[in-house]
Amino acid sequence: MADEFDVEYIRGDDREARILVRGLTPAFANGLRRAMIADVPTLSIDTLRVVENSSVMFDEMIGLRLGLVPLTTPDDFEYGDTVTLSLDVEGPDTAYSGDLESSDPDVNPADEDVPIIQLNENPSGENQRIELEAEAVLDDGKSHAKQSGGVAVGYRHLRKVSVVGDRGEFDEEETNILRGVIETEDGELVPTDEFDHDLTERYPGKELEVEDVPGAFVFHVETDGSMTVEELVLRGIDSIESRADELQEKVAV
Amino acid sequence: MSYKCSRCKRDVELDEYGGVRCPYCGHRVLLKERGGDVKEVDVK
Repeated sequence: MADEFDVEYIRGDDREARILVRGLTPAFANGLRRAMIADVPTLSIDTLRVVENSSVMFDEMIGLRLGLVPLTTPDDFEYGDTVTLSLDVEGPDTAYSGDLESSDPDVNPADEDVPIIQLNENPSGENQRIELEAEAVLDDGKSHAKQSGGVAVGYRHLRKVSVVGDRGEFDEEETNILRGVIETEDGELVPTDEFDHDLTERYPGKELEVEDVPGAFVFHVETDGSMTVEELVLRGIDSIESRADELQEKVAV
Repeated sequence: MSYKCSRCKRDVELDEYGGVRCPYCGHRVLLKERGGDVKEVDVK
């Protein structure tokens, strides 16, 4: 049985996108969502070796902040692979994620302007300084939320909106809120934020019928920057495929 | 164990007989210096 899928990018960029997929079952859509959140591995700092920390934060607090910095993750890494990054900043200055220097040119902070710690000047002594070496490990969202590449992944049914008549002349027009993406009678896909999620703004004075389009789901995918939306979706699909293959091997024995 | 006097900022070495006092300025508030070992922190 071969499923026929139809995929269409509605709107978005490398970090956030809406994708319409037709031909899915709700179970498969949910499985894909869970795979993108918990099964796609990313690199995150897991261990610190602190040489000097004269800042006001404990080593462990700085480690917690560094662990949550998203790192770009190439697809040729395997579970357990590590990358070393170093940070050496002296006050008066603020240590940013962009100050992290990586041993691998393909692994860098996804955003360079995430503040880590503010280092002040001591007028009567040495300036505050932080010098450390960090080790980033590839792991998935199941082990820790910092390793999850999909930070906001969800889906809704595609709704078809049809005009069935005119509203009565003396009927009060109540707001008709709908979120997501609608398909008009012409087959046009319109995100609901274009009309403030209120159907009465797009169809004033009209009587409407709204129904779910079977098998059509609009995914809203947002990444933390460790990979693009397209890469996240593809790696999520790969993870489902590899788990299904493994199960098939075990069942076939 | 090395300490630093909070007033004169000089490094102070304490022994069990001298008490908690800076031998240079007599101040009694000493700051403990961070150890020289590299500390490994598990980030979770």
